[in-house]
Amino acid sequence: MTEIKIVDAKNLSCPQPVILARQALETNKQVKVIVDNDTALENVKRLGGKFGCEVSVEAKSGGIYEIALIRRADINKEEDFSPSCTIGEAQSGPFVIVVNEDKMGRGNDELGTVLIKSFCHTIAEQAQKPDIIIFYNTGVKLTIQGSDVLDDLKQLESEGVQILVCGTCLNFFEIKEKLAVGVVSNMYDIVEAMSSAGRLFAP
Amino acid sequence: MTDQHSYYVILFKSVSYALKAEKILKQEGLPHKLIPVPKHISSDCGVCLRIDVDAKDKIVALLSGKVDLEEIRKLAD
Repeated sequence: MTEIKIVDAKNLSCPQPVILARQALETNKQVKVIVDNDTALENVKRLGGKFGCEVSVEAKSGGIYEIALIRRADINKEEDFSPSCTIGEAQSGPFVIVVNEDKMGRGNDELGTVLIKSFCHTIAEQAQKPDIIIFYNTGVKLTIQGSDVLDDLKQLESEGVQILVCGTCLNFFEIKEKLAVGVVSNMYDIVEAMSSAGRLFAP
Repeated sequence: MTDQHSYYVILFKSVSYALKAEKILKQEGLPHKLIPVPKHISSDCGVCLRIDVDAKDKIVALLSGKVDLEEIRKLAD
């Protein structure tokens, strides 16, 4: 009667671990769920809490957790439980990339020019595209006619990536009329995009 | 992913060869793109030149004798 049902939910992605845990709880009084990530851990703990289980967690090496659930009452099969698959991920908000130079990294300009080209190409090939790319200071030179990364940026824009180009910067370099991708933007939009970002990085 | 084109990539022994070749192609106005070496070819953080299939012979002829080409590979989409 004290038999413990083991649910090995390692290598499973959300919401699989919590679904398996729930199924096991419906027919077993004691369940031990083995998970390998924080999202699954939090969801299984929440599941246990919701169904009035005694929950105890044991952290094992290698990021593995063993969650022991002891059920004190029957599970109401009608009850809804919605796992959250975004626990531990970045806060909500747009994914923003800030390009503040026409090179990537400091030290050698020739190398930096190569790297920024590689960067733009690779971003354009990623499955998960940024929501917004902001260009300022010499970064704006990447958005004008003759830029080596224009095709990549145009492709990104055509796939819905918003490209904001600092107007002050275009003005400063006197290249505003050469802008070939994106929209001329201002510090208000730039600050707004940066401060609302869920994830933000500069190459 | 970029378009329906098929491409070759030219691999070089070092980044500076790739840059030299890029400079030559630019001067001649031949279409090319400097890209990171695709992951399935090498895990090194290197760059290579991606060129159109139709332009391959012309480009290889132009570069030979000027830049050491390590390898030319068809790029699968």
